[in-house]
Order: sequence, then structure tokens, then C-alpha cells
Amino acid sequence: MKKAFSLSLILLFLIIPLFICAVGQQEKGPVKLTFIGRDAVYGDAIDIAISEYVKLNPQVSIENLELPYASQYEKVVIDMKGAVGTYDLILIDDPAATQFQRAGWLANLDELLKKRGEKLDPDLISTAVKLGRYPYADDGTLYGLPHIGNVELFVYRKDLFQKYGLSKPEKWDDVLAAAKKIQAGEKDVYGVVFRGVKGNPITSTSLPLFWAFGANVLDSKGRPALDTPEARNAWEFFLKLKDYAPEGVAAYNSAQVKDALYSGRAAMAIEVWPGWVPGLNDPSKSAVVGKAEVTTHPGQVKKSSPMLGIWLIGIPEASKNHEEALDFLLFLTGKETQIKIAEIGLPPTRESVFMEPGLIKKFPWYPVQVAAMKNGVGRPRTTQWKELEDIYGAYLQLVLIGKMTPADALKEANSKMKEVLE
Amino acid sequence: MERRTDLRKNLFYYSIFIPAFAVIIFLTIYPVFSVLYMSFFKYKYLFDIKVFIGFKNFVRIIKDSLFQTSLFNTLIFSAVATIAEVTLGLFLALLFYGRFPGKRVFLIMAVFPMMISTMVVCAVWRTLYHFDFGLLNYILKTSGLKSVGWLINPNIALFSIILVDIWQWTPFAFIIIQAGLNSISKEIFEAASIDGAGYFNTLISITLPILSKQILLVFLLRTIDTFRIFSKVYALTQGGPGNSTETVSYYIYRQGFTYFNLGRATTASIYVLLVISVISVFYIRNIMREEA
Repeated sequence: MKKAFSLSLILLFLIIPLFICAVGQQEKGPVKLTFIGRDAVYGDAIDIAISEYVKLNPQVSIENLELPYASQYEKVVIDMKGAVGTYDLILIDDPAATQFQRAGWLANLDELLKKRGEKLDPDLISTAVKLGRYPYADDGTLYGLPHIGNVELFVYRKDLFQKYGLSKPEKWDDVLAAAKKIQAGEKDVYGVVFRGVKGNPITSTSLPLFWAFGANVLDSKGRPALDTPEARNAWEFFLKLKDYAPEGVAAYNSAQVKDALYSGRAAMAIEVWPGWVPGLNDPSKSAVVGKAEVTTHPGQVKKSSPMLGIWLIGIPEASKNHEEALDFLLFLTGKETQIKIAEIGLPPTRESVFMEPGLIKKFPWYPVQVAAMKNGVGRPRTTQWKELEDIYGAYLQLVLIGKMTPADALKEANSKMKEVLE
Repeated sequence: MERRTDLRKNLFYYSIFIPAFAVIIFLTIYPVFSVLYMSFFKYKYLFDIKVFIGFKNFVRIIKDSLFQTSLFNTLIFSAVATIAEVTLGLFLALLFYGRFPGKRVFLIMAVFPMMISTMVVCAVWRTLYHFDFGLLNYILKTSGLKSVGWLINPNIALFSIILVDIWQWTPFAFIIIQAGLNSISKEIFEAASIDGAGYFNTLISITLPILSKQILLVFLLRTIDTFRIFSKVYALTQGGPGNSTETVSYYIYRQGFTYFNLGRATTASIYVLLVISVISVFYIRNIMREEA
């Protein structure tokens, strides 16, 4: 009796751990992931990925929250600051990433990948990947993967350039000279067009020029660097370009720039995003089919400096589904999904996708675009870019509308930036 | 015994006020004090920086040229829009007084702008104001005049937004003043007419004095509302060109929800609260005086 009791006790001790292991190894129940991203075509891209992903992973359901820029940012910040964990994946505009990374709100993707036994695919373009790292260096910790590879491009009318014996602008001086010549010869064509709305639009439009003139918003120590001869030269040059832009350019945003370009009223656009290019060759939208050439920005004292505008995806530290979120993130940034996303007009972030023959046929400017991405410059990696960008954009617009001289505006903007960063 | 019954009665009356009082404390008094408290800190929400700095925020903000411009623009917006809306509302109310064929259709048309969402109103006006393709400039150009930079000329942009506000909110003034007008006994007008008073005499000596309470009320409500102008600026100009359409609410929004500088945002809010309180006290005192 005693023996039988001891035997059953031993068995029980053996069975219990086995049972626990078995339960632990059982498949997890249904998982619900919440993705918070942007509206319009950005939302469509996520929907495409979700529909494919849930077919392969029926135990996972994914909710895609599509919001305009400002409210998406607000919601993400408030949720992550409170470590609520409502969202499992978030779309991040690359300048905002520094803020999130520094605050420790994002999960360390290097560690999650290691846990999974995987390494980062080198096919993802390194300039874009670097924007997801903190500190901003090739060996910085990875907190976000590049999902949409936006980069600024430059467009000029090759028919008009041929007509006036002009060659592709290699320097910004060539842009000014071409604008002058074409506007003098063509009755209803403006030399250049760009976004002049204060804040982000005018800042984004002017940064490739600003950088090419050797100027920087912040110096290597993160201090404002606007009050410099290089910056003055850049803004004075920008003001010269205004003489060859439409009269109301200070109120031009993407819609007006696209319209001027598609209708053939502009000879050059100094800022064109990949998503705007397909319309140029669409006869239902464009009067300049086959006449516009997409290229990289000219240089000046420095080489061509196109601005990167990468949309990253990160996993909030507070999310309760890190593993599942990473799995979906890898699927989203995988080659197959990137091809599908590229087909709807969004720029990919994988080099091999830019080489796909089917896509090159559809988007012949892809070689230019990938070159621009590889040479692309990210906006300053500071936690307070939004405020600095608003200051830069407000003062440059004051210059554009003739309310301030470049020198005075730069001086004042510099001191405002100092105040923000102190 | 009687005193005890009175006390009980009073206690009962006071106790039924408690829920309403609790709601007011929770939703009005507490947030105001909380905002006031935060305004004494350098409070950067994103970075968990919360340092007590006394009145520094108040000094910095009042010295900030952007805030000064915003405050000035807000005062201009509020004054011009309110005066125009109340004057037009009064004019419409007088026009629609009495019976005439098609009055109902006119009334519906007149109140229609107020019923549309502000964002939709702005989308429509943005198209009308477009420098190259807008209807307004098309009309000017076909009449041989020069195009106007409705939203891109820093000297005009604020007034373009004011025009949108007038278009949308004049009906509000009109409805309230018309309600007041309809409540005046017709016998008063008949008596004035028998005494030989003309239309303008009746208007100045009878109608306007009787309507003064409604007019002051509309002035109060529209002043408060226009002082908080945000959505039209956000949708039409985002404060531009330059800083010509920056308003205090837009300034607070950016400080609070774009930069998450809660110290500055709350300080600017306190300034707005002070200005609105002064204006409200002025109006309310006038309304009360008339009642007394």
C-alpha cells in the first residue's frame, strides 16, 4: 500500500511538469493586432498586406486604423506615453522616430529578430534602414523597418529643354538659368514650381537646395546653424527662383504643384514625390505625357542631396504581441508584399523590388529613384524636429512673401531654434 | 421647531444641488485650476520634463512675437466678424419681419450655411478662393480686373477667413434677433404708428431698445466663439501666409498637440481665458444692468 502510494506520487510529479509543458506548447488562441497608420493610399497598402497575411495566418486578425497625419501622430504619442499598448504596429514618419526611440517607446527589433533566429535582410536599402536606428548610425539599435521609401525627385520638361538648347541641370545655377530662359520664351509656362505653404511643405521643398548649398539646419553638435553664409546663399537663391514661379506660389501645396506640372504650366518642379510621377504619363490627367523627365536634384557646392521621407513601422514597447507584430512586420516589408505595394504606386524600400522588370516597365524612373534613395539625406535627427521645421518653414515663407530679408529671417529663426533646444 | 424645519428644508434644497455642483467642479473648476497649475511649469510631455519655473512662461509667451501676432489677429478677427455678423443678422431679421410670399424658402436658405460642417464650408471656400482656378478670381479676370490673392496675400488672407465666418454664422445672429423681434407685441408698433412715428423712428426708439438684450447676447456668444477661431484657420491657411492668419487657438493647438509643450500651451490658454472673462463680464454686466 505504502509502495503503491509512493509510486503514484512519483508518477504525479512526472506527469504534472509534462502536462504543463504540453499546455505551454499548445498553439496560442486567436491573436488580434492593431495597426495605426495613415489614410488614403497608405491605408490601402496595409489593407492589401493584411488580406494576404490573414490567409496565411488565419489565427491572426488585424485591425487597420487609417488616420490623417496630425491625428495619427497625436494618438500614437498619447498611447505610447501612457504605455497603454493599444497599438501593436505603428507607422512613423522618419523625423518623428528619433523622439520615439529616445523616449524608449519602441521595441528593440534587433533583439526580437535575434530571438526569432533571423537577421535583417540586406536587400532593404541601407539609407532607409539607418533612419530606423538609434543612435543614427549604421550600428545603432534598430527600432523601425522602412515600409514606404519616399524620396524627393526633380522633374523637368525635356521638350522645352531641347527647344532652348538646355541640358539636364547639374547645378542649381543651371535651374535658375533654364527657368529664366524658358519663361522668357514661353507665354504660359512658369520656369519653376514648388510648394510654398509654410511649415512642412516649404521646408521639404527647399531642403535639397539648402543642403546642396552646403548649409545645415543643425550643426554636428545639434546646435542651430542657420545664421551662416551658406544658409544665406541658399535662401537668397530660393528667393531668386520665386521670380520664375507662379504668382501665388506661397499658397501652393501638392495639389497645385501637381496641377501646374500636369497641365504643362511649369517647366520644372524642384520637389516631386514618387507618388506624383505616374500622373505625369497618364493621358487622362496630364498634358505632358512623355515630355517630363524625372531625375535627381542638382548639386551646387555639395553633391545632389535629395530629401528622404521614409515611413517606418515600429512595434510599441507596450504592445502585448511583440512576436506576432514582428511576424506581420517582416511580411509587410518582405519582397512579395513590397511588390504588391509598389504596384499601387507606393515606393518600395527593397533594392531588388526596384530591379523587378515588370515594375521598371510600369515605372521607368525606378533606376533614378533608387539612386536618389541611396544618396538621400534624412532630416536632422533631433527629438524636436516638428518645432524646428515649423520655425524654418515660417521664416522661409516670410522671405518668400517679401516680409523679411533672408539674412534677418535666418538670424531670427536661428535664435528661435536655440530657444526651443535650450 | 420651526427653525429646525427651515434648516431641514434648506438642507434638502442644498443637497439637490450637490450632483450639479460636483459636475461643475469636476468638469469646469478642476480643469481650470489644473491648467493654471501646469502653466507654472516647463512641461515637455514627450520627454517627461516638468520643472517649476514660476511666471517665466507668462513672460516668455507675452514676449513671443508669434503669440503677439496671434493675439492681435484674433482680436481683429473677433471684432470684425462679430460686428459684421450681428449687423447683418439684425438687418436680415428686420428684412424678414412680417409676412410675404416665399418667406419660408428664404428662411431655410438663410440658415443653411450654419448647418454645414465647418470643414465642408472651408473646402468650398478654398476652391472659390483659389488664385488660379477659383470662381472669385475668374469673375474678376473676366471683368477685366486683376486676380486677388485671397489666401496668399498676407494683407488679405485674414479678412478672407473672416468673410467665411460671416457667411457661416450670420444666420445664427439672424435667428436669435428674429426670435426677439417676433416676441415684441404688435400693439406697440400699432400704437407708435397711430402716434405718427415713421419706420426709422420706430426702429431707433422702440425696436432696437427692446431687442438690445438679444443683440447683446448674440454679441457675447459670437465674441466668445470667434475668439476661439481654430478650424477655419487650420483648414484654409494653417496660419499663413507668413504669420498673417495665426490665431491664439492655433498657437495653443500647435504648442499642445504638435510639440506637446504643455507648459506653454496652458499659459497661452490662461491668457485666452482672461481675455474672454473680461469681455464676458463686460457684456453680462450690461445685460444684468438692463434687467435691473
